[in-house]
Formats: sequence, C-alpha cells, structure tokens
Amino acid sequence: MTDRTEGLDDRPLLSVRGLTKHFPVMSRGFRRSVLATVKAVDAVSFDLAAGETLGLVGESGSGKTTTARCILRAIDPTAGSVMFKLPDGRTVDLVKLTAGELKPIRQHAQMVFQDPVSSLNPRMTIGDIVREPLVIHQLARGEELAGRVAEVLARVGLQPEHSRRYPHAFSGGQRQRIGIARALIMKPSLIVCDEATSALDVSVQAQVLDLLKELQREFRLTYLFVAHNLDVVRNFCDRVAVMRKGRIVELAPTAGIFSDPQHAYTKILLSAVPSPDPDVRMNFNVGDELAKLDAADQS
Amino acid sequence: MSESAEKPLLEVRGLAVSFYTPDGVVSAVQGVSFAIGRGRTLALVGESGSGKTVTAYSILRLIQPPGRITGGRILLRSARAGDIELADLGEEDELLYRVRGGLVSMIFQEPMTALSPVHTVGSQIAEAILLHQKRTVKEARELTIEMLGKVGMPLPSVCYHQYPHELSGGMRQRVVIAMALVCKPELLIADEPTTALDVTIQAQILGLIKTLQRELGCAVLLITHDFGVVAQMADDVAVMHRGTVVESGDVRSVLKAPQHAYTRSLLDALPSRRRPA
Repeated sequence: MTDRTEGLDDRPLLSVRGLTKHFPVMSRGFRRSVLATVKAVDAVSFDLAAGETLGLVGESGSGKTTTARCILRAIDPTAGSVMFKLPDGRTVDLVKLTAGELKPIRQHAQMVFQDPVSSLNPRMTIGDIVREPLVIHQLARGEELAGRVAEVLARVGLQPEHSRRYPHAFSGGQRQRIGIARALIMKPSLIVCDEATSALDVSVQAQVLDLLKELQREFRLTYLFVAHNLDVVRNFCDRVAVMRKGRIVELAPTAGIFSDPQHAYTKILLSAVPSPDPDVRMNFNVGDELAKLDAADQS
Repeated sequence: MSESAEKPLLEVRGLAVSFYTPDGVVSAVQGVSFAIGRGRTLALVGESGSGKTVTAYSILRLIQPPGRITGGRILLRSARAGDIELADLGEEDELLYRVRGGLVSMIFQEPMTALSPVHTVGSQIAEAILLHQKRTVKEARELTIEMLGKVGMPLPSVCYHQYPHELSGGMRQRVVIAMALVCKPELLIADEPTTALDVTIQAQILGLIKTLQRELGCAVLLITHDFGVVAQMADDVAVMHRGTVVESGDVRSVLKAPQHAYTRSLLDALPSRRRPA
C-alpha cells in the first residue's frame, strides 16, 4: 500500500463536479409518460483529499445516499463527472466508464452499509462473505486467500473461528465489523460509509468509529461518511458537507460548521439536535423556521 | 385528586419479568423500582436489551407468553378510577381495558405498528374515542378532527379520510400521538417515539409531546437510548442496565454528576463528549 503515498501529487483522490441524478415520475397506466422529474441530486461538487474524511449530512430525502451511490456507480448519474485517482497515478472519470472498464476499478472504492442484517447474505459463512470480493476480482487464491481472510478478520477484531459461522450468530457491532472487513480486504483507497454506525447502540457505535479511525491511519484510507447524526460527524470528520433538497448548501471544516454555521439551514439543523446538557436548550420550533426557509426558496 | 396529589401517579416496586423459553428461563427485568409524579416526565434510558421496553410493556400488561411478570407491584393512582394494582389484574379484567388507551396510552417507535394499514386515520382515532368515552359517532368524528389539528396535521378534515401509507413518517407519528392523547390519559408511555425520525422532525415531535403534556397535564414515561432526548425532555431519569435500574434521580444531577460507573461509561461514549480522534 506504500506506493499510494509516493510522488508529489496533490491532486484530490476524488473530484466530483456537477453530479446530478434525476428520477422521472411516471404516470400510471399502459402508456407511461413522464409527469415530472425529481432532482434527487442537483449539481453536487466537492473534492476529497487522500486520507481525508468528508461527512455528508442531511435529512432523509436530501440526496446524500443517492450522491454516494452515484459516485460508486451503483446507480448511473444523469450528468456530471467523478474524477477518481487510481493507485498507479492515472485519473479516470467514473461516470464515463463502461461496466467492463469499471470492474477492475471497483476494488479501489468500497462501501460499508447501514444495515448489517440485510447487507450480509444469511446463507453464507463469514469466511465466504469476506472472501467473495477477492474471488470475484481473482486477486488471490488458495493459501494466500485464506491468509488474507484471517488477517483482515483479526484486524477488525474478530476471531479466526468466526469465519465458519453465519451472520445470525453475531451482534450488530460484530456484523458491522464483518462489513468493514469485506471492504478492507480489497485494500481500497476510498471507503464510502453509508450510515455505517446509525443502527448501533452508543457504546458499540463508539467502538466501531474507533476502529474506522485506526484503520484510516494504518492504511491511509479516505472516507466519504454519509450520516444523519450530527454528533457522530462532528467527532469523526475533517470536513462536512450539508445537503438539502439534492444540493450542498454548505461545505466547511468540521469545527467551522459547528461553531459558526453560515447557511440558515445548517443553523436550523444544528439547533434541532437535543443536547445531552440539560442547560443547553434545544430548539423545538424548527418546523416554523424550516417553513420560512421553504417560503424564501419559492420567492 | 387532592388527597393523592403528593403521592406519585405511578409506582413500580420490585418488578421482575422472566421469559420461559425451551432453552431455559431468561430474566429480563429484576427488581426494577421507580415512581412518576403527576404531570412529570421520567426517562427510562439504557442500551438495547437493558429491559426498558419490557418494563414499559409490563405497565400495560402487554408481556406475552412465554414472558410473565414474576414479581413486584405496579400501582397506578388514577384520579378518575382510583388506585389500581396493575400487576394483579387478570388478563380479561374489565379494568385492564379501561387502563389501556384510556388511563394509560402508549406510542411506539415505528408508527406503522400502531396503525392499521386498511383503515383511515380518522376512523382509527374515532374508534379509540368510541371505546373509552360515551360519545356519538358524530361527536367522535368532530373530536378526532379537532385532535388532528392539535397535533399539527395540515387540513385535519382531509387527513381524517387518508390512509397511513399516504403520510410521511413524521406525520404518522403525529397521528399516533393524536390517537394516544385523544382520551386524555393520565400517563403516556412513549417508547423511542423519535428514534426513526430526522432531527428536525424529532424536534417538532418532541415539542408537540411537551406542549400537549402541559395542556392535558399527563405524566410521560419516555423510553429512549438518547441522552440528548433525556436532557431536553425529562424531569427525572432512571438508567437501566441488564434488567435493573442502576441509577436514578433528577435529570440535572444524574447527567451532570453521574454516580454509577455504567452511567458514566454511557455518557463518555456519547460522540459529543469524546475527544476528536
């Protein structure tokens, strides 16, 4: 993995420009005509430096997951470009690649999902789940394959004998570790975490976040961290992009977003977070403030 | 009401609940005690599996076999129906039906579990009124529409005829709150009412619960794992761990100066309290 840090190359690892995804709203019936389009992602642009963690926050429906999926080409964006720097120094536009061209590149950009239940096949053992990506990409076989699986399981804090068990035998936190192991075994440069810790209890969440931080230091990983929990983002991310209605309304270093939010929406969002300090009162009146913001959008 | 004014509305003493599974007996709750005063809010906080939901279900006698209440007492000092020993009531007791949804009502984390997908929102709320109050169908309908307006549904009379799937998560939770409060319960049990919601929606729902609580004067038992929600909503807090209450007291002292090691570890795990790595 050392070759990734070589060369005086300060180009960002990922450069997203004007990323857009529109979904058509179809009429009912036999002759399906397009009634309208939903702008799920609307001209989103940002850079992600190697080794950095960018938080993508917003409410449900703000387009953060769709943005993440478009970047990894899990769905095809309507427009825009996603320039991704490969370990060999080449830069490719992920949006323009065909499925065949994309396949060898997928190993460098991995994803960790929110739901550790539905993202692990219940009929596969942990060993098979973690092994599968290496097999699909034909990157290792035999002894080496077994060795890499054992190594990555140990690294995320699981025991070698766990590889013979099935997902149902594990707790939520352990399942999330399995999901991380599956991503990590590809030695990716970019990991997209889509609400990776949202389903976990606070103490387990803290452990998984610690693990992600350690792995980042050790393997110089870059994270795109999609989350709705602002407290988690505050602790985990270097920079934060706030999304609303498919657009990034504010992007700034984490400390700045939290201490001095610029956009009205960011201010409302932060005021709505219930503080664990009983002397810091939260804002119960966000409904009216959001309505005012919407009215301002219209005019 | 005046003679029982000083005594707490709900007193739970030494509650124990076990589940008799084929693989052995699992003791979910052992010796849990707490009290809620009239109009006060008590937060029951803990991680998954700590027994907070089992405790809440016990109050409404919703524990299903193989689960069973094995000990303790649950005393509801109702202003309308007198003292009721909930733990001693039989499954078919007339009084139990009066308690459920009448004197004590509950809102759940996932609103769809409380709503029927095949009935309109309005008919489900009106049903609660007809069950617990002597009202005509027309009166029930008017009360329902008034309540829907109170919980902030835009166009309450239109909403009356809508089905739950036509509403967003936040709106469904408003409907469930309307259904829970329409019979003016003395105690509202809210089991993770905002866990599935976005922060801005959460703020509105929490604000709504606070406003209506003040208006109706009901007590709230709030079950949550979020210390932020505890700090903003509750007067008192009981921290649960492995089926027991490890610490309880008023919110300010428990959150600012936790005495028990488990409470401290939970608070230290909060992202907002951790040092940036």
